[in-house]
Amino acid sequence: MTPLVRQFRDFFVSLKLTVVLLALSIVLIFWATLAQVQLGIWGVQEKFFHTFFVLENIPGTAIPVPVFPGGYFLGGLLILNLVAAHLYRFKLEWKKAGIQLTHLGLILLLLGELITSLQQVESNMRLPEGGTMRYSESYRINELAILDTTNPEFNEVVAIPEAVLADGGSIQHPKLPFQIRIRDYYPNAALAMRNQPAPGGQQAATGPLATAGIGPRVAVTPLRLTYKQDERNAPAAHLEFVGPEGSLGTWLVSPLLGMPQKFDYAGRTWEIALRFKRYYYPFALTLLDFTHEKYAGTDIPKNFASRIHLKTDDAREDREVLIYMNNPLRHAGLTFYQASFEKGDKVSILQVVRNPGWVLPYISCIMMALGLLVQFGIHLLGFVRQRSAAAVESSG
Amino acid sequence: MSTRPLACAMLLLLLSSGCRDREITTYRAPKDPVAVLPGADASGQLPADHPPVGSPAGGEAAMANTAVPTGSDSLTWAAPAHWAAKPAGPMRKGSFAVKGDGAEADLSITAFPGDTGGLLANINRWRGQIALPPLAADQLDAHREHLDIGALHVDVVDFAGTANGTPTRILGAVVPHGGETWFFKLLGPDALVAREKPAFLEFLRTVRPR
Repeated sequence: MTPLVRQFRDFFVSLKLTVVLLALSIVLIFWATLAQVQLGIWGVQEKFFHTFFVLENIPGTAIPVPVFPGGYFLGGLLILNLVAAHLYRFKLEWKKAGIQLTHLGLILLLLGELITSLQQVESNMRLPEGGTMRYSESYRINELAILDTTNPEFNEVVAIPEAVLADGGSIQHPKLPFQIRIRDYYPNAALAMRNQPAPGGQQAATGPLATAGIGPRVAVTPLRLTYKQDERNAPAAHLEFVGPEGSLGTWLVSPLLGMPQKFDYAGRTWEIALRFKRYYYPFALTLLDFTHEKYAGTDIPKNFASRIHLKTDDAREDREVLIYMNNPLRHAGLTFYQASFEKGDKVSILQVVRNPGWVLPYISCIMMALGLLVQFGIHLLGFVRQRSAAAVESSG
Repeated sequence: MSTRPLACAMLLLLLSSGCRDREITTYRAPKDPVAVLPGADASGQLPADHPPVGSPAGGEAAMANTAVPTGSDSLTWAAPAHWAAKPAGPMRKGSFAVKGDGAEADLSITAFPGDTGGLLANINRWRGQIALPPLAADQLDAHREHLDIGALHVDVVDFAGTANGTPTRILGAVVPHGGETWFFKLLGPDALVAREKPAFLEFLRTVRPR
């Protein structure tokens, strides 16, 4: 083994590294907890944990520099450290079985968290009583949906993530007979009809950029990004559609418009909408009944429950389920939780979570508990044997 | 055993998730049962069935909100000097520690919209806290003292019972004001609260609409 490799090995298997990483993690979590006041929970997760480095802008500029290791960096090194130390010191011994099982559980827990943070998708399903839904909507991610609605049976959808709009420039897609030029984009903006006062009393400074759809009648006021947990950013963009024979017009899009806008081009009917990202499923949920109980004499909720009819497209499942607090529906790798409701108790809102790693924390906790039981059991047995041996000696 | 496959797998996982947020997807979807905006017309008005522009789609309570609504800040008061103000917390409008004889009583001020179930229900709730049986509606008048403080109508009750086996007393006042109900409650050891009763009544006389 060359000295360099040995140095690397000694670094990754050392207990000092573990201690330093744990200490840095404590600082990171403390800092992130304080920062949650300004950034909110989503912002903190992005800035501190789902990143290799915590970035801060150099004061007075917009140049980000890494100032502290982030969650992926510390978590990744912790896994490497744990795995490396294990491989290096591993000896197949019955006496160590408990410790090894416990550490294996810990490695699985860290891996599970990594998979969750990378792969988990959360969305909402809003169900009015009697209504049927085949999709759920993200509550943070937006998409520009361009629908070809010519076929009476279904829509052909091209879904463009908001991040692509934020990049600016133009978009060309093989399914679209036109090019989309992004004239401007605001990550958060308020809309008001031009014949009404703008929100906050200020009038939009510029004239309408839009030439088609509802846009010419709407004033756009850019707002600061919000990080509050109960507020959403509502982006807005002006998009010019250009075909081979020239511009088709400029449309304003925003989730605040509330409805898609329609136009005809190349013998087909199109709809455009900037909307919360949709996730379609091969099954349908129908809300049969929503119940909301309160504690007597107060408005404090006691229980919400949604009676749901689940029907899959392949007709394999066709059943009723009751979803209430702590009793979600698990189906097709998704979990549906009772999350909220709207005034009047006629609309139920389910939280839909897809987390391929959801079972890993359970397995790892069982492994760690078993490992500790085995470890303490071995010690206990040894202790009991010693005592009984001592008792035999003293009596003999 | 080499760790290289593991490292490669992790790198792939990271890369796959990194690209995901810029990927344009296409799919076939069933029709929505909602209408769409027609093209521009000259009137500058929205079509009759259009939702208002500028408010989020999906109704008012799109996010979970199970916070308990509390009342406004429409009353003011002046506490006796020997009561120590405490942080009010999310539910309370005011909070004081009343100390004496090495013991401490708690004065809480809360307000909620509406009549919160009525005077009898609230007074019986207080009685339940100190292990007293509930009053019937016709017994209520015998147990309350009515005060008129300025324009405010105040119902004062004084109950002695037990909590966790120790003698405990509640001095309470219920004040309906501006569509809300305000509660002033002094809860603590029997002897201490009984001795503080004059101060409590004097305190109630300082309550004023803002």
